[in-house]
Amino acid sequence: MVVSFALICIILSVLFAVWRIIRGPTWGDRVAGLDFLGVSLAVLIVLLALRTGFTAFLDAALIVSILGFVSTVALTRYRLARRIER
Amino acid sequence: MRRVFAVLATLLASAAVLAQEEELMVPDVVQIEGNIFAEVLILFGCFFILVSAIGMVRFPDVYTRLHSSTKLVALGGIGIFGGAALAFLPIGATERVLLIGLFFFMTAPVAGYMISRSSYLMGLPLYREEVSIDAWGAHGEMAEASMVEDDEDDPGEVRGLPPSGDSPAA
Repeated sequence: MVVSFALICIILSVLFAVWRIIRGPTWGDRVAGLDFLGVSLAVLIVLLALRTGFTAFLDAALIVSILGFVSTVALTRYRLARRIER
Repeated sequence: MRRVFAVLATLLASAAVLAQEEELMVPDVVQIEGNIFAEVLILFGCFFILVSAIGMVRFPDVYTRLHSSTKLVALGGIGIFGGAALAFLPIGATERVLLIGLFFFMTAPVAGYMISRSSYLMGLPLYREEVSIDAWGAHGEMAEASMVEDDEDDPGEVRGLPPSGDSPAA
């Protein structure tokens, strides 16, 4: 019951992050929204593992968090090197 | 909602039974109903994550949104991962949950720093700019200088060397 309530909260936060990515007026808003989306999805997968009892979801959560961090660092570095247009 | 999770679980189980023995993939029952510490920690964490998501929508600026997302996701991660680690104790997957939490605590400040630095160097506008203090005093101008510095990493370009008459390679 608690896990279902937490899942509803995390899904709402994922929807807010997607709204920020679509709506975001500048480039930094979109990258911040992507970072927030990656963290929220990892938390969502951990809660799914807790809900269903499959511990194989935890490996998926670890992979999602690593990919989110690496994509954020790569986007900021490439933008500062002026290889992506605004 | 319970039916959706049941369908997901049966799909995963049927896909995994084809690869391994059947008795390995029966999901262990996670006892969270009687675990009051895990319940309180998960409620704490999801409250903070929801608050940071509302802040992502409502704040007026790139930097305030970063303040909301980065710090409060780290604070909510305490709750969610601590509660999940407590709930996974009888199964024995606690160390993996703690590994994911440790990874978040290591990488969330770095990601926030990188996003705010690149936004500042790009010259994205500040909220209420006439009141706030720009410590570097070069908002927008340092962007050009930093981009020139970053372009020096290109392999075809040689800078900082003395003129060609003094170079031994000539």
